[in-house]
Amino acid sequence: MSRVSTPRLRARSGVAGVVGAATLAGLALAGCGSSGSGASTSGTSATKSGVHIVKLTITDDGCTPNPLSVTSGPATIEITNTGSGAVTEAEVMQGDKILGEAEDVAPGLTGVFSLTLQPGTYTVNCPGGSGSGKGKLVVSGSTVTTQVAEGATDAVTSYRAFLEDQTNRLVETTAPFVAAVQAGDVAKAKTLYAAARPYYEAIEPVAESFGDLDPLIDARAGDPLPAGAKWGGFHRIEKALFQDNTTAGMAPVAAELLTNVKTLREKVANVKLEPAQIANGAVDLLNEVSTSKITGEEERYSHVDLVDFRANVDGAEAAYQSLRPMLTARQAALAAELAARFAAVDKALGAYKSGPGQYDYVSYTKLTSADTRKLSAVVDALAEPLSQVSKAVVQ
Amino acid sequence: MSDSPTLSRRAVLGGIGVAAVASAGGFAVGQRTADASSDSSKGEAQLAAAAIVPFHGEHQAGIATPVQDRLLFGAFDLMTDDRQALVSLLRTWTSSAEALTQGKPVGTDDTTPEAPPDDTGEATGLSPARLTLTFGFGPTIFTIGGRDRFGLADRRPAALVDLPAFAGDDLDPGRSGGDLAVQVCADDPQVAFHALRNLTRQAKGTAVLRWSEMGFGRTSTTTSGSSATPRNLQGFKDGTNNLRGDDTADMAKFVWAGAGDGSDWMAGGSYMVTRRIRMFLETWDRSTLSDQEGTIGRQKLSGAPLGATAEHDTVDLAARDAKGALVVPADAHIRLASHSTNDGIRILRRGYSFTDGVNPVTGQLDGGLFFIAYQRDPRTGFIPLQRRLAEHDALNEYIQHTGSAVFACPPGVRPGGWIGEGLF
Repeated sequence: MSRVSTPRLRARSGVAGVVGAATLAGLALAGCGSSGSGASTSGTSATKSGVHIVKLTITDDGCTPNPLSVTSGPATIEITNTGSGAVTEAEVMQGDKILGEAEDVAPGLTGVFSLTLQPGTYTVNCPGGSGSGKGKLVVSGSTVTTQVAEGATDAVTSYRAFLEDQTNRLVETTAPFVAAVQAGDVAKAKTLYAAARPYYEAIEPVAESFGDLDPLIDARAGDPLPAGAKWGGFHRIEKALFQDNTTAGMAPVAAELLTNVKTLREKVANVKLEPAQIANGAVDLLNEVSTSKITGEEERYSHVDLVDFRANVDGAEAAYQSLRPMLTARQAALAAELAARFAAVDKALGAYKSGPGQYDYVSYTKLTSADTRKLSAVVDALAEPLSQVSKAVVQ
Repeated sequence: MSDSPTLSRRAVLGGIGVAAVASAGGFAVGQRTADASSDSSKGEAQLAAAAIVPFHGEHQAGIATPVQDRLLFGAFDLMTDDRQALVSLLRTWTSSAEALTQGKPVGTDDTTPEAPPDDTGEATGLSPARLTLTFGFGPTIFTIGGRDRFGLADRRPAALVDLPAFAGDDLDPGRSGGDLAVQVCADDPQVAFHALRNLTRQAKGTAVLRWSEMGFGRTSTTTSGSSATPRNLQGFKDGTNNLRGDDTADMAKFVWAGAGDGSDWMAGGSYMVTRRIRMFLETWDRSTLSDQEGTIGRQKLSGAPLGATAEHDTVDLAARDAKGALVVPADAHIRLASHSTNDGIRILRRGYSFTDGVNPVTGQLDGGLFFIAYQRDPRTGFIPLQRRLAEHDALNEYIQHTGSAVFACPPGVRPGGWIGEGLF
């Protein structure tokens, strides 16, 4: 099956649908331009509900038609693979930045992705073919202005900077961990394991939007896996280190983990974000705390659950901080309440610090049920009003 | 007769305060009910037909109200010492209770796609089910560890005493106490659950549920004329001689706190004691019928006092058999609990059976009686009664008190007011 790989935060609570509508409807559309039909037998352009439908065909050479021409505005690229399988991917790039892509479009299948095109010249890349693989996309017409809510752009910019920072740190901390595993140094790997975890946990809802990447990186024993995949990622290595006390057989698993976190870093740079999604991602992070950190399920071998807990809350707080100017302008009382509730969580969690570092926390095994109940209460107290933020920022 | 309109008429005579509601301009019957009339002339019969127990009144509903089929009791701990946060919670709970008891959802917005709905939704389409929400304040709202949390210490009623330890108690702190209590009663357990769930959600950040207990099979008759006395899990009729909610004189004498009792803000309120009483059902079930009947002092099937023939026959505690032995044994439960042997003390019992599944240690059934009693003053009500029972009652061989709490339930709320307003 083809898979739409245009990054999209997962559809939660109907938000994705609304955001999608806003993205499309909010755009000023230029008239249908059209080009293409004479230039190629396989490329056509039409509009549907004001969105340009651009048909692109993958062949063993690369993709046609080339060049593609279209008028500025929202566009949906529909890809059909008529080749033998040498090429299965198509992406639209501006310089070296991927604006949208469809991967794993096997022969006979179709793929689709959407993006908003501004006037200019772009590269259409269908790598792996016998030709150069690269074509041109020429967008004519006037600049499209999108109606975004006051403060939304700043919120997205701010949160994206956080995502990029966290994924950089994720790669930087995973690399030495992977090296220690590959070197067979169990003690060192154990130490480095906890150091790498926060930067994934802080951005997990975004990582989850990339389909298979999350289970490949973060699946726990028994979690569903992508078709054909074996259990790997952080928790597979965690089990080897902390339960089996060995690195045996883990070198290839570790190598794959590093590849996957690097892929995540690349994808994050292009993820589409909307304020409501950022807000609901923050709620998702606290839900993670409620269901798998407070219970000690997430880190069942290493018991570094409080590290993840701290990171989940940090991720939620970064989202909140990005949205805070928007929220303060709309619902100052809610913004103030959230600040107090974040402070209450920080205070409660602070009681379990084991050192000066941001992520120095005691083992989950030190917690009593009275401790977990108290932590759970402050997280619930924060998550409930946090769930009202998405509504505030879309209004 | 147990038809609802009849009960409701009695409820009005009992002073529950439908009049207060009607004078507020009537109210929209909930969207869950078929009858959507908001005619202020609607009488209690129509309300009863719509399964609505008025929330507003001189006294809180859920005390004198004819007992419903189901209970969900919730005790909360406050997470804050901020008096304003507590007041805000009580105001929110008041408006939610007004809506819920009429079969309406809580909040105002269940349709914005980007936000979670205000109401959780599981009661949509169900009858109001005679839902009542009865609120109480625990001793710890006034002082905790000697500290005056909310500046209310000098408002604590003398009658709201910490219950003393009773012989045989095996109290679990996790099933005892609490700063705030909500007794939720309804004829539909889902309606009751929905109510407590939504109050719990609205309390996030201010109060957290400390413990809760679900009850079924109401164990006490609370209204005269009800067709049959319900049975408890020991299989005996329970509440035959209970004080009746529609006995205005006895309610005023034994249940409602008076204006001259020492705490003005409690006038028209009542003190609630709850006890989670585990029954050792397995040992009870292997006791002979005569042992069971002697323990209680009644015949199991008919409910008649030993030595009598019908349930409501007068209990003759002095009667002796041919050998000179007491017909109702000296340690029989009904003898020790009878008001005639307790200086005339009476309390209004409103308990329910409960089960919490399997006892993790023994694998035996974990069930029994969730005892609830309302009284004007626990110092002359539950405490002396229980002291006597705890020391002498033959029933103690088959039961154990595992949870305990006491709450001051303020008077009813007038339209526009809020729960406990007089305290603040």
